[in-house]
Amino acid sequence: MPVRTALAVMAGKATGSLSRLTGRGGGTTFPGDVARAVDPQVLRRLARDLKGGAVIVTGTNGKTTTSRLVHAVLEGLPARVVANRAGANLIYGATAAAVAGAGVDGHLRADWGVFEIDEATLPAAVDEIQPRAVLVLNLFRDQLDRYGELELMARTIQRALDKLPPEAVAVLNADDPRIGELGSHLSRKPLWFGLDDREAGAQPLPHAADARTCPRCGATLEFDAVYVGHDGEYRCPNGDFARPPLDVAARHLRLRGLEWLGLNLDGQLVEARLGGIYNAYNVTAAYAVGRALGLEPAYLAQRLMSVAAAFGRQERFEAAGRQFTILLAKNPTGFNSVLRDSIELARGRHYLIALNDRIADGTDVSWIWDVDFELLRPSVQIVVPAGDRAYDLAVRLKYAGVKAEPPQVDLGQALDRVLALTPEGQHTFLLCTYTAMLDLRALLVKRGWLKPYWAT
Amino acid sequence: MTKFTVGWLYPDLMNIYGDRGNILTLVERARWRGLEPEVVELRKGVHTGLDDIDVFFFGGGQDREQALVYDDLLELKAEPLTRALAGGAAMLAVCGGYQLLGHYYQTADGERYPGLGLLDLHTEAGHQRCIGNVVVDVSGLSLEPDTLVGFENHSGRTFLGAGVTPLGRVIAGSGNNGEDGTEGVASGTIFGTYLHGSLLPKNPHLADHITATALQRRGVIPLRELDDALELEAHRRVRDRELAGRR
Repeated sequence: MPVRTALAVMAGKATGSLSRLTGRGGGTTFPGDVARAVDPQVLRRLARDLKGGAVIVTGTNGKTTTSRLVHAVLEGLPARVVANRAGANLIYGATAAAVAGAGVDGHLRADWGVFEIDEATLPAAVDEIQPRAVLVLNLFRDQLDRYGELELMARTIQRALDKLPPEAVAVLNADDPRIGELGSHLSRKPLWFGLDDREAGAQPLPHAADARTCPRCGATLEFDAVYVGHDGEYRCPNGDFARPPLDVAARHLRLRGLEWLGLNLDGQLVEARLGGIYNAYNVTAAYAVGRALGLEPAYLAQRLMSVAAAFGRQERFEAAGRQFTILLAKNPTGFNSVLRDSIELARGRHYLIALNDRIADGTDVSWIWDVDFELLRPSVQIVVPAGDRAYDLAVRLKYAGVKAEPPQVDLGQALDRVLALTPEGQHTFLLCTYTAMLDLRALLVKRGWLKPYWAT
Repeated sequence: MTKFTVGWLYPDLMNIYGDRGNILTLVERARWRGLEPEVVELRKGVHTGLDDIDVFFFGGGQDREQALVYDDLLELKAEPLTRALAGGAAMLAVCGGYQLLGHYYQTADGERYPGLGLLDLHTEAGHQRCIGNVVVDVSGLSLEPDTLVGFENHSGRTFLGAGVTPLGRVIAGSGNNGEDGTEGVASGTIFGTYLHGSLLPKNPHLADHITATALQRRGVIPLRELDDALELEAHRRVRDRELAGRR
């Protein structure tokens, strides 16, 4: 262990405690910046200390929740697991997590690592972490102002997967046409997972669907089932391309509110304390990672049951005699999922919807026009548009035919408004983009309604 | 009831950046005015009845999808589209669709792909992507307010020929090419622009201008006034924020 790495760890740790002490939030990535400045190889060296290995989780939607599931699976081995839990998913966030898990001797005191990694950072993360498994969840239209278009992203992911160490496994979502395509070009066969329940997939393609053409002949793909966004059971009408055969297939999907879901995997019931079809994907994906690592089905089912939602994702609390659920949504597919689930599974009637356009949200808000806000029209009672781009959201709701309250840029005022308009005993849904969720959460912590996230 | 028909070119392939917002705006505003709106989706293949369309919308796509529509556009759509536009129909083309209206698109290797040639302009591949909020001065169109707001995300740089005028001049953002201060094109009934965001919901005055341009031949102008307080407030807030950041 070079002295430099130990120094990097110490510098990073000092930065972390300093930023927590000075109240700069959880200090989730800054220690990574500092440690890398001292030793650029610090993550590579620390990752070698992981005796079990590391799992990298990437994809547009579901990284945080799925990482949490994988974390629970590994922790039960039993094992010490290091993870970048707080959505700090660039290389600095991963480094910060490794630094936090290291001792003063500069060695990582953990057996396994679970790193959620932004798609664009995947090549660097694979190179430095040398993982045992890489999980690719999905590729949806996201914050296009930052990373360019999906095609480019698919190529970036493919390039990273081709450089995996020989004993590593790529665990891929077969139901996503673009992942199906990139996975079929890999030099080693990936482990394919997906849903196999045509009854649950009997919905039309939403407006946000975007991977719809055959990569070989250009024909529009036909779907026998659509589960989330453009993820489903697809095939080219000319027979040039189809969903790869599933190695891990989730069958007989059951959803109960936003609190529970059940699936059949390897012939046994797997349950989770999470709601919605998109979480069925997250659970199936985490299960598939477990299978790729050689873990037993019964063990996986028992561990997956133990996980509650990640912070800001279906987080529930009670305040002022009302129920609240925070739902994070960062792009059209995510937004459509949480809208649909809150309406259909939890009979949502009262909403605060907060749209920000900061760097972490994506500075381009045009994606709200691909969200099917029309879903709210038949049953909604109260919608308060909020956040930096509350007015854009209000215009979107107007053209969706949804009667909304006047826009409130200030989240505190928006919260007061929705509170005043929601009768006691009712359930309010707080739908937020990423930075809006952080701000709203901070506000709720200040009001004593929630715990700070580094305490969750 | 007067019909108002929007022809959406390649809604399945050229549809990125919330283009649906432009369609929704044209359709809903027509409905609020008591017109009978209809959206005709013009996918790949032969379509009839293009002469009945009032406004064509042509959005942007990713490279792969743009390559897929290219042959279809030149072989099957160019002729009926040109005829409909000559008959007084209007067109709004955004980003990739805008580029395809011109003489050609020249790649970084110098290869030229011919466009529809409807307008005197051409596009060259650029090295840097122009990304961000845009404010455009459109006082030349005599609209109230005299600005447009939107979001641009393009690497192609478009240059206008002598025969056409720009839609406006950028006050914030890059516009056509980041050099000459122009943004978009306005030529007769054809409007091209790099602004999405979506463009029309936050610029209801432009939406009405395009609708009025198209409906001239049906004799239903002037259009009835609508309450645009919310749309214009959204417009004003983006504009003021962007301009405050630049002064």
